Amino acid sequence: MEPKLDCNSASRKILPRFIETSFAIAAIAAALILVPVPAFAAEPAPSAADQNCLGCHGTAGMEKKLADGSTLKLHVPADGYAKSVHGPNGCTSCHADVDPAKHPPEKNEIASARSFATSMTQVCRTCHTDKFEQWDTSIHGALARNGNPAAPICTDCHNPHAIIKNAATQVDQVPCKNCHAEIYTAYLGSMHAKSRLGSKDSYAPICSGCHTAHSVKPIAAGAFGQGPEAACFGCHAGVLEAHQKWLPNAELHFEVVSCPACHVPGAQRRVDLMLIDSKGKARGTEQVGVPLFEASTGSDSKGIDAQTLWNVMQTLNRSGIAGKTLLRGRLDVINGPQAHQMADKSKALSDCGTCHRAGSQAFQSVTISLVGPDGRRVGYGANADVLNSAFSVDSVSGFYAIGGTRIKLLDILLVLAILGGGGIAVGHVFLGWMFKRFGLYHPHDGHGHPPAGGGDASKPAA
Amino acid sequence: MRLYIHPLPVRIWHWTNALGFVLMILSGTQIRYVGLIDVVSFRTAVSVHNFVGFVLIANFCLWLTFYITSDRVRAYHSELNLKKHFIGSFRQAYYYAFGIFRGDPNPFTPTIYRKFNPLQSMIYQIIMMLLFPVQIYTGILLWDLKRFSAQVDFFGGVRVIDTVHVLVFIAFVFYILVHVYLGTLGHTRTAHFKAMMTGYEDVDEEAAAE
Repeated sequence: MEPKLDCNSASRKILPRFIETSFAIAAIAAALILVPVPAFAAEPAPSAADQNCLGCHGTAGMEKKLADGSTLKLHVPADGYAKSVHGPNGCTSCHADVDPAKHPPEKNEIASARSFATSMTQVCRTCHTDKFEQWDTSIHGALARNGNPAAPICTDCHNPHAIIKNAATQVDQVPCKNCHAEIYTAYLGSMHAKSRLGSKDSYAPICSGCHTAHSVKPIAAGAFGQGPEAACFGCHAGVLEAHQKWLPNAELHFEVVSCPACHVPGAQRRVDLMLIDSKGKARGTEQVGVPLFEASTGSDSKGIDAQTLWNVMQTLNRSGIAGKTLLRGRLDVINGPQAHQMADKSKALSDCGTCHRAGSQAFQSVTISLVGPDGRRVGYGANADVLNSAFSVDSVSGFYAIGGTRIKLLDILLVLAILGGGGIAVGHVFLGWMFKRFGLYHPHDGHGHPPAGGGDASKPAA
Repeated sequence: MRLYIHPLPVRIWHWTNALGFVLMILSGTQIRYVGLIDVVSFRTAVSVHNFVGFVLIANFCLWLTFYITSDRVRAYHSELNLKKHFIGSFRQAYYYAFGIFRGDPNPFTPTIYRKFNPLQSMIYQIIMMLLFPVQIYTGILLWDLKRFSAQVDFFGGVRVIDTVHVLVFIAFVFYILVHVYLGTLGHTRTAHFKAMMTGYEDVDEEAAAE
């Protein structure tokens, strides 16, 4: 039997349902208002003033021919600029000299794209003072000051209109590859790159990890431990102790052998003899006088020989240059690309005989180097005999690898000593035999000393 | 007549030294001539060279202590009379170069306190007072170049130290060859070797009485 509904009962049933629905809507509305939900960030957009600039400069392909014939790109991609870390600053934060009312100027005052970019580095400096000073004292800064048109300045590595944070930490984004393409390619084959590309959590270094981003120093200018090896030790802590377990004189090896010399097993090696003062600081070309070396090296492709090097060192130490001039030897790989092909440690050289043997490949290439005005190494070829000539005892007194750079004259002396010592014995025995043979042996003493030819002296000679 | 001219400490020192010298020469040659000689690895040769080197240093200290505390040190006293020394040396050299072939008697007869002929006395003093200490010192510097870098630099660098070490090594190679041969020139080929084992040397009584 169905229940009977009257008006009263019906109204009592309808009212609560209405109220329930209303409360539900209100609750949802309140929840939407009060409970935070992930917000979809709005795309950054250029300000109105910047929109005004981008009205022209946002046009793809916009550029300007300059007085020297070079082209200044004036196109600023709006999207990239808006997303860049510089976007919120606004155009005029860097281009404060531009008066919108008189822009573009009637007269082109920009001499070249390079001069414009160079002038703009001072704008970068206003905010990035520390980075600018690091660059200024770097090899890049020195090259720029010397007028090298290829020396990187701020905008060569950083696109100011599209710069984003941490871009240079991506292997494929490093700006270094623009100039150092060969080294970059070599690095891609290294275990460092493989590790970094293989895992996003890898802390294996990219360029700036070892060379720093802005205070890039030439290897030659630093004393031991101030060059890239310092970066190696920064990550590979305890590496000296690990080597000391099996490598005799490990600390000395660290001082005179670069890490890649062993950890790039297929590399060609070279001994670099750097001119230093008695405090270990590299001699500069301006102190030593390059013509002295150029005259000595001449056009002979074999480079300076042992006796000439000795003469040069004698001259340097008599020429009035303050302090004593010495040669500090260091075994390294032959060039930059090879230095960046670091292999897995299981493939590193650990056979002492690789270097400690005569004719070792490690000692066939020798250079003598100084530091040029820009801080870069200036190398001069040398004959491999500078390492194993008797002259080297004096001229290359601080570099020696047992066996590998041994002095030939001492080998001759050893052979003479063996022949002499053995020859005395054999000759003495022979003479004794001859005296007996020709009846010249007549023992005078009863107890008898034997003739040198052998036998008991108490027995009469034949 | 048998004379006890080689006391036990001297014999222990001598044969330890002999074995040590041979091992040092062999391991040193292996270290220097990797590629030409490959009996053991470079690293093994270095370990042997270092270990035996320190044994020889301890042995040298034993020798020095014995002679400093014993009246046998007179064997190493220099002949201050140069004329007498040179005449004795000349006679001994003449004997080895000529007299021995004719059957002349050895001009030198050992006694307990004078067991070295003038040539031996001069050579042993040069070796034990100069070459051996130089070899020990340069060897220690080469053992840990970094630790002793100040001294290495003072003497002109590692190559100078190594060159001196190798020159003394060459001198020792020559000395060992000649020393062993001269050891066969006793009244029998093995007389001096037996004497260095038993301590007793056979000496002609008449010559000793003179």
